[in-house]
Amino acid sequence: MTLTLVMLKNFRRNPLRVALTAVAFALPMAIFVAAISMVVALNEASANTEKELRIGVHHKTSLVNPLPEGMRRKIEGLDPDRTRLTGVCGMRWFGGRVPNTQNTLTSLAADADTFPTVYSDTYMQPAEIAAWNKDRQACVVGMNPAEEYGWKTGDRVTLESTVPPYLQLEFHIVKVLDNPERANFFWFRRDYLVESLKEKGEDDPRCNIFWVKCNSAQSLRSLQKDIDALFANTPDETKSEDENTFGANFIQMAGNIPGLMQAMSVVVVVIVAMVAGNTMMMSFRERTRELAVFKAIGFQSRKVFQLVVGESLLLALGGSLLGIVPISLVLWLHPIPMRQMGPVGSLEISWMAAGISLVIALVVGLAAGFGRPTKPCVYEQQMRCGALSKD
Amino acid sequence: MALPLSYHWRNLFVRKNTTILTVLVIAAVVGVFTWMIGFRGAVNQSLSVAGEERKIIVLKKGATAESNSAIPIDEYNKLGQLNSVEKNPATGQPRFSPEMIIQVSLPRLADGGMTFANVAVRGVTDDAFVVHSNVKELGTRFSVAEREVIVGVAASKQFGGLNIGDIVNIGFGGDRGYKVVGYFSADGGPMESEIWGYLPSLMNAYNRTMYSSVSLRLTPDADPKEVIAQIEGPAIQLTGKTEKDYWKEQTKLTQIYLFVTGALVAVMSIAAVFAIANTMYAVVAGRTREIAMLRTIGFDGYTILRGLILESVMVSLMGGIIGCLGCAAWLEIAGNTKDMFGATTFTTMAFEIHLTPVIVVAAMIMVTLLGVVGALMPGLRAARLEVLTALREA
Repeated sequence: MTLTLVMLKNFRRNPLRVALTAVAFALPMAIFVAAISMVVALNEASANTEKELRIGVHHKTSLVNPLPEGMRRKIEGLDPDRTRLTGVCGMRWFGGRVPNTQNTLTSLAADADTFPTVYSDTYMQPAEIAAWNKDRQACVVGMNPAEEYGWKTGDRVTLESTVPPYLQLEFHIVKVLDNPERANFFWFRRDYLVESLKEKGEDDPRCNIFWVKCNSAQSLRSLQKDIDALFANTPDETKSEDENTFGANFIQMAGNIPGLMQAMSVVVVVIVAMVAGNTMMMSFRERTRELAVFKAIGFQSRKVFQLVVGESLLLALGGSLLGIVPISLVLWLHPIPMRQMGPVGSLEISWMAAGISLVIALVVGLAAGFGRPTKPCVYEQQMRCGALSKD
Repeated sequence: MALPLSYHWRNLFVRKNTTILTVLVIAAVVGVFTWMIGFRGAVNQSLSVAGEERKIIVLKKGATAESNSAIPIDEYNKLGQLNSVEKNPATGQPRFSPEMIIQVSLPRLADGGMTFANVAVRGVTDDAFVVHSNVKELGTRFSVAEREVIVGVAASKQFGGLNIGDIVNIGFGGDRGYKVVGYFSADGGPMESEIWGYLPSLMNAYNRTMYSSVSLRLTPDADPKEVIAQIEGPAIQLTGKTEKDYWKEQTKLTQIYLFVTGALVAVMSIAAVFAIANTMYAVVAGRTREIAMLRTIGFDGYTILRGLILESVMVSLMGGIIGCLGCAAWLEIAGNTKDMFGATTFTTMAFEIHLTPVIVVAAMIMVTLLGVVGALMPGLRAARLEVLTALREA
């Protein structure tokens, strides 16, 4: 009989406890993998946006107060030789939704000429840029709305705005974006919005935010100061933030759900590791006599020790895999789309998170195996003088 | 005959490590549980205050919230044809409260002003204080001739720069200073997270000619559905919602939040039951002989089971008390206000989380249940112990 077989037989001794211990590993590990995947995705997204070197310039009082479109020229005037900035793109909130649905899309009207430069991370190809420039109704959509409403490049779609005067506009999709950080966006041309507003009798070419694309991190910081200084003590004072700070405000306002998930999942894992580890320790404590018998019939200490640690590891890893594998498969094969405001388009599996949770399982398994009742010296004393002579 | 309490109490300290571990696990579960129930209670209280069926909020067609609604004056005047609106006894005319919602970005006090929140500013007239009957002024009302505002008590605690005498910069250019002259409460409802000022003054400050919404109160015999149908009908063509329905739509994010926390608490409760069961199994295994002895001298299985459950409930209650204390300490250190974005309002609602006696009692009931459930299986095992075998073997 090999040691492995003994270990496996041991699991059948108290199936309920083994099952409970396994579940105690599986459940929190699954939650942990999902939560950490989310955190990893957020970090990746913020690292990506940081690379884009964009500043968002909006009204100091509130993003809701529109700014005159002429501010774009003034911002560009700060750097006429283009040594610090590459482009400025004004945007106006449209807040469109597909007629007869409830979900408001993150839909924005953007300056057509600079949009492909400032949002270079939309990776528009020359042909797509040409279509965007030629077609007044052109729009670029993220993959989440495209998937939800079955849209593809070339489709004509209609959105109705949720902000006054509640325009209903028709658009022509020139590109469906495939990068996850932009999964929830819907961009179209601002000149189209301005003209449509005029038709409704509202001459209102203002912008909610100007995105300024910078050349380097230094110029980003200096421009941020210069822009706010430029508009200080004017009727439209501004607040300039880099894109990550801007996004963080939204996440904060939405109750910081990622932060909550992160904190809570750590608590859950710590607690459950304690519980499960303790259980395993106990199942050995109960079997001190039996282990003594093993020694009595000639098994070396090392072998018995291997048996104990092996069993503990097997249970910890097995239980964790029971949780990690299904959640990883689900998130890998079918990422869960996230439609809230935020830079993460969908919850995808992060293999690093799966790896971390396996390592945790390993550590808990080892710790339980090495735990007090099996510490070699204590344990041998118990074996020799205690265990067998009892009764 | 029952075993003396001190017997059980002392027994807990025989296996100190296991007991401490279990207490800690339960404390953690209870800590999170009480916080979550407190938060849920705060949200629900807010919403139940804002849950009047007889109060109707009128919005422009197509708008999803007050903040993106705009009602021109001539359309507002059409509301005059509505019947079954509560009348102003002084004039005999139906009472409407035209309102305008704008936002101002203010620093959060909780993180020392690192992050900013959109706080709603509501322009109102005297009628608003009658229609929103739960609003109580604490101190003076804003003057209609000066740039003055009053601040909801929840907003004053959650956001910076809202003490009496402070100047809040609002207005389209953010260049009009409004002085805070008083506070108001709204029975803990969402309006407590707002700043109120005089409607014409604020409309002027924002160059606006339209109202955002109109609130009205129905006469006791009116059917809200009929009135809403009339508001949405061809003669008026606006949208009407009862206050209850309106706020339900605005708190979708909060619902997600509560769901995530709830799921985690559920997992943790399972872990806690498991921890207790574990401890009790250890108790039974370690005391097999002792229990057999107790049986021999005349205690029956039921007494033993009851005793073990008692022990486990003692452990649970210890954990429960530590957990509640931990939660109270956390609320003290980290602050007990929390604000959440409305799904579409683009403004935040501030909540104040309180560890009320009800919550503490609920937590204690929960841990008692956890203790009983956890002790059941090991207790039954002990009760069914084969006395002779146990005495010989253990």
